[in-house]
Amino acid sequence: MHRVWGARPDETDPSVSVPFAHASEAEMSRILDFYAVRWEYEPHTFPILWNLDGDVVESFSPDFYLPDLELHLEMTTLRQKLVRKKNRKLRRLRELYPDLNVKLFYARDFRELMLKYGKLALHDGLSGTLGQVASPYAPPDELDTAVVADVADASTTTDLAAATEPTPGRPTRRRRAADPRTVQKGPAIHT
Amino acid sequence: MSDHVDLHGDVAEILLSEEEIATKVRELGAQISADYRGRSLTLVSVLKGSLPFMADLMRAIEIPVRIDLMEVSSYGGSSTESSGLVRILKDLSASIADEDVLIVEDIIDTGLTLNYLVRYLRGKAPASLHICTLLDKPARRLVEIPVDYTGFTIPDRFVVGYGLDYGELYRNLRYVGVLKPEVYAEVSGG
Repeated sequence: MHRVWGARPDETDPSVSVPFAHASEAEMSRILDFYAVRWEYEPHTFPILWNLDGDVVESFSPDFYLPDLELHLEMTTLRQKLVRKKNRKLRRLRELYPDLNVKLFYARDFRELMLKYGKLALHDGLSGTLGQVASPYAPPDELDTAVVADVADASTTTDLAAATEPTPGRPTRRRRAADPRTVQKGPAIHT
Repeated sequence: MSDHVDLHGDVAEILLSEEEIATKVRELGAQISADYRGRSLTLVSVLKGSLPFMADLMRAIEIPVRIDLMEVSSYGGSSTESSGLVRILKDLSASIADEDVLIVEDIIDTGLTLNYLVRYLRGKAPASLHICTLLDKPARRLVEIPVDYTGFTIPDRFVVGYGLDYGELYRNLRYVGVLKPEVYAEVSGG
């Protein structure tokens, strides 16, 4: 998979960059940063299909996790054929993890967002396969095991009732396998 | 863009008429008047989109109210810079500590701006903080925020008028409508 590397917009740590799979994801991260919403990029992987031996054969990693909102956000700005595949995976995810709060953001949603922010001219370049830009910095194989994002700033953990002025969001550095919500094996499901 | 604007001609469909809006604003005003009777209420309007709604709503409320205005920068609001952080461009002019505060919004869609605003205002220790919006577009919600007074729940379409803009225009329409697709195409270069 090609990755788009997005620099952190707050410039507090220029060395940190996040390997976004799609330009629309990088744009979404900038929007979330702008509105001081903390996010993590693909921190959780949820198995959705197992073989008869109980090995995971299919999993789903929502693009963003917004910890303060306990919300997973999946961007789907690709062609309809791929959207159908993603919809199927999402249905499966919701069946298996009914308590999970997942929001799917379609191409139309993204276009409306760009329209709202006066960035419609950028929309075509950020959507569909045009948004998938090969990274000149890292081969695809490295990316699947990449440590994603940077260190959470404790000061950004905001109690809404007590907060004064919000501070910018920061993604959390976390290996997927170490996350307790990441389930590597589950009961065999016969399909 | 303004050279080519045909204020009413650019509108493909009227979603909410002037009369429908006026009726709803009166209903909201009556409900708010009843709920806050005997209390000290401050209406906080968020510029610029909620100006017409604020002007009409405050006159539909029949208890004494204070009003204040805030302006918050919008993502992409600067033509030269897409990054950065949301900023308070205009803060409250008076303290709201121990006051009952009602945020008056024109529309809630993603909830990102409102989420920021609620966090900011809660930090100023009001006695209570509630939200009134003329329009709610829940299909596009990212941040779930309880809304206390909602005028209309609208479909997932980009709307203009009655304060809502596209490219800073169409705010002065007396109704809420949807623009013709070619209006967007002109701006996006499509």
